[in-house]
Amino acid sequence: MSIMEKPVFVDAKLQEVHASGRLEYRSRSLPTWCPGCGYFSIVEGITYACNAMSLNKDQSVVVSGIGCASRFPFFVNLFGFHTLHGRVLPVATGIKTANDKLTVIAIGGDGDGFAIGGGHIPHAAKRNVDITYLLFDNGIYGLTKGQTSPLSAMGLRTSTSPFDNPERPLNPLMMLLSYEASWVGQSYAGRPDHLREMIAQAIAHRGFSYLHILSPCVAFDKTSKTYVNLGLQVRDLPPGHDSSNLMAAMQQAQNQERPALGVYYQSARPTLSDSFEQLCARAKAAGEAKS
Amino acid sequence: MQIALCGSAGDGTIAAGDILRSAVAAMGYRVICFDVYPAEIRGFGKCIARLRITTEQSYSLKRQSDILVSLDDAHAIPHAGEVRDDGAVIYESQPVAACPEGGHMSGHVLPGQIPYGLPIREMAEKYTGGARSRNLVVLGFVAGLLGLTPAPFLQIIEKKFAKQGAAVVARNQKGFQAGHEAGASTFKLDDVRVAPVEKPEAAGQVVMLSGNAAVAMGCMDAELDTFFGYPITPATSIMERLAVAMPKRGRRLLQTEDEISAVAAAIGAGYTGARSATATSGPGLALMAEMLGLATIAEVPCVIFVSQRGGPSTGMPTKTEQSDLNAALYGSPGDSQRIVIAPTNVEGCYRCAGKAFEMAERYQTPVLVLLDLYLSNRYETVTLADSGPPFNLDDNKPMRRLEAGELYRRYALTEDGISPRAVPGDAGCMHVITGLEHNELGRPDDREETHAAMSRKRHDKLLAALEHPDFTVAKRFGDPGRVQVGMLAWGSTFGECLEAMFMAHSEGITCAAMKVVMLSPFPVQAVRAFMDSCDVVLVPEVNHEGQFAQLVQGILARPVVRLSRVPGSPMPVELILEEIRRLARGIVTAIAS
Repeated sequence: MSIMEKPVFVDAKLQEVHASGRLEYRSRSLPTWCPGCGYFSIVEGITYACNAMSLNKDQSVVVSGIGCASRFPFFVNLFGFHTLHGRVLPVATGIKTANDKLTVIAIGGDGDGFAIGGGHIPHAAKRNVDITYLLFDNGIYGLTKGQTSPLSAMGLRTSTSPFDNPERPLNPLMMLLSYEASWVGQSYAGRPDHLREMIAQAIAHRGFSYLHILSPCVAFDKTSKTYVNLGLQVRDLPPGHDSSNLMAAMQQAQNQERPALGVYYQSARPTLSDSFEQLCARAKAAGEAKS
Repeated sequence: MQIALCGSAGDGTIAAGDILRSAVAAMGYRVICFDVYPAEIRGFGKCIARLRITTEQSYSLKRQSDILVSLDDAHAIPHAGEVRDDGAVIYESQPVAACPEGGHMSGHVLPGQIPYGLPIREMAEKYTGGARSRNLVVLGFVAGLLGLTPAPFLQIIEKKFAKQGAAVVARNQKGFQAGHEAGASTFKLDDVRVAPVEKPEAAGQVVMLSGNAAVAMGCMDAELDTFFGYPITPATSIMERLAVAMPKRGRRLLQTEDEISAVAAAIGAGYTGARSATATSGPGLALMAEMLGLATIAEVPCVIFVSQRGGPSTGMPTKTEQSDLNAALYGSPGDSQRIVIAPTNVEGCYRCAGKAFEMAERYQTPVLVLLDLYLSNRYETVTLADSGPPFNLDDNKPMRRLEAGELYRRYALTEDGISPRAVPGDAGCMHVITGLEHNELGRPDDREETHAAMSRKRHDKLLAALEHPDFTVAKRFGDPGRVQVGMLAWGSTFGECLEAMFMAHSEGITCAAMKVVMLSPFPVQAVRAFMDSCDVVLVPEVNHEGQFAQLVQGILARPVVRLSRVPGSPMPVELILEEIRRLARGIVTAIAS
């Protein structure tokens, strides 16, 4: 059934959006992204997921780094901390350590996460901090007007690689899987229904969840991660993919030509907060035994 | 009285110093001690434990020791000169092998010093069945020679070695007693005496603390919620102590992957309203610089303890220096004002630690507490008030209840520049804090008038810290009124200045010293008034560039005489005294411009 058969009118759609209640989660600031940017679909997905989960606005914090993606906190009606380039995870870790009642969502772009901030990811995964890390991957530095990122495709022409990017991009999913992050998934801004489901699952996961979101940069990348290319490349994880099987997840993650969408891997293990509780209990017991 | 114990790593020099200071502190003496040891854990590096034992509070070690104990002549010989006339030099009289010429202490005792050759190894072997207790034999000898009763020593030895079993305790106690008998029965030729101490009316509990232990104690008494840190000499022991203390009270400490994460997490925790801190040294401070700017502009409270060591770069990790002042004051992009305080002794470490949290929360800003290796690692007897911790931590500006539909203004421009602070969890106060310049709502805004107003707000709100309740930002000591020589000092060097000042007084020089505890914002009025009353102002500090002197000259536009040295050890008191004499004689060569 194509859209043409059942026309949707703007009025009706607006009424539906208003009635859903998800505008409660939008702030009064209009996004500063370029028209057509994939990130609009992500902010839509997050407000949908928050609404569907009835997330308590007073008890939720969105933390971000620096970049186009990191402007995100301004556009949602939650507590927000727009921090420094690459430092979203340690700040989020501090927030969660100090108050584990809060729902903490960390947001950053591919440069923020895998260039300057790459050193923090294994440690957040290792500690299993109960935060959700949404990585917006447009494969380029957008806010500074189109430079090469560690996830830029080989051969991409940018202002800092005018003779085409000679380097292979990182494989972020392989990295996260090898760090044994307790929830690893991938989605695509061009599949809003899939995206909102994945965001909701990532937030619901207890522990460190990493959602890789492919998204086109319509302003500075006309050849690589475009809607057309990504639309043709993405596929679903094969039916019957066992998300408790790390090796199977890695096998899927190795195919960067045809990125698969879905939950690659998930496992339940103690979070950082659990470890703190246990540690404090042990320390108190030891203190009492001594006295 | 000052005793120096010198040996090679592994001789038990530092352990003997540890026992001695605990024992005399238990007797009611005031103690300051500072150990010097190599950067390497194993090997044959030089270890020196110096203890100054007094009946009244003293402020620094002396240049000259009254007693030098050598457990390793090769290391101790260069220090023979630090013993005063009629002081004692105690050494091994029966070396195990033939000494090369000039290799034995006996050949280096100076005229006027009293040598005591003791068969230390022989005695240790005879009474304890091994040579390992040499340090306790010689410690016993010192105690015996000084006429100190053995009971407190034996108690401390028992406590210290209890974990290693009764046999070790007994062996060490035997060694100590043998030494003590030998000391007590030796005819005393030196004139080193300890005045009997009268236990003062208990104004509080007297404890023996290192600077870092005092910081950790201050943190605990200020009810620190979270601590994030990365190991670095000489700050590590703050974290190590908190790692023991905090979980017992259900509080959280996390060792992060680097210093950037440590301060980032501390700022994240501060944002939620928790009391948070980190501790580091110069190299870590450099990594934290960008984050500190974020805390300044986003107005998030957090406390950073910085124990300075020799720099730049990795520099001299186990040597003391005061060369991170500029980094502490200015080390961030942009106009990033913050509060910087520097205690001058161990008791100050405790007070500054607690006060730092008060200030961070009241003024919504990062607060840096500058220590140095000398202060972090030295032990002092500290009196803790019986009335409990002197900190007032319920002073956060209360949040005004929001009217329905009202937007919360996180950065509202108020008269004192301090905006009502809400944290995640406060109903209806959703807002975004950011490192971007922002308007009152916290939304990005780079208009000229906004940036000017916000820059002014961030600067002006800190000035109130100069009148922070129950906190000494600067204080004058010594002669009142007009003086020939005035000294301005910060951090640990102030103790040396005070000693030098007392010596100058006894030579008839009128002299005063001012400690400057708050370095940012700078107590301009107090320092100007002090400088007005001095013929000449001397600024002694342990760095090469004269960073504090530059700060004073820059702010007050007045010349000072610099005394900048980088010996890797505390500023020698004699050097300050010489400079005071020279200035008092009026031979002022214009060093300062």
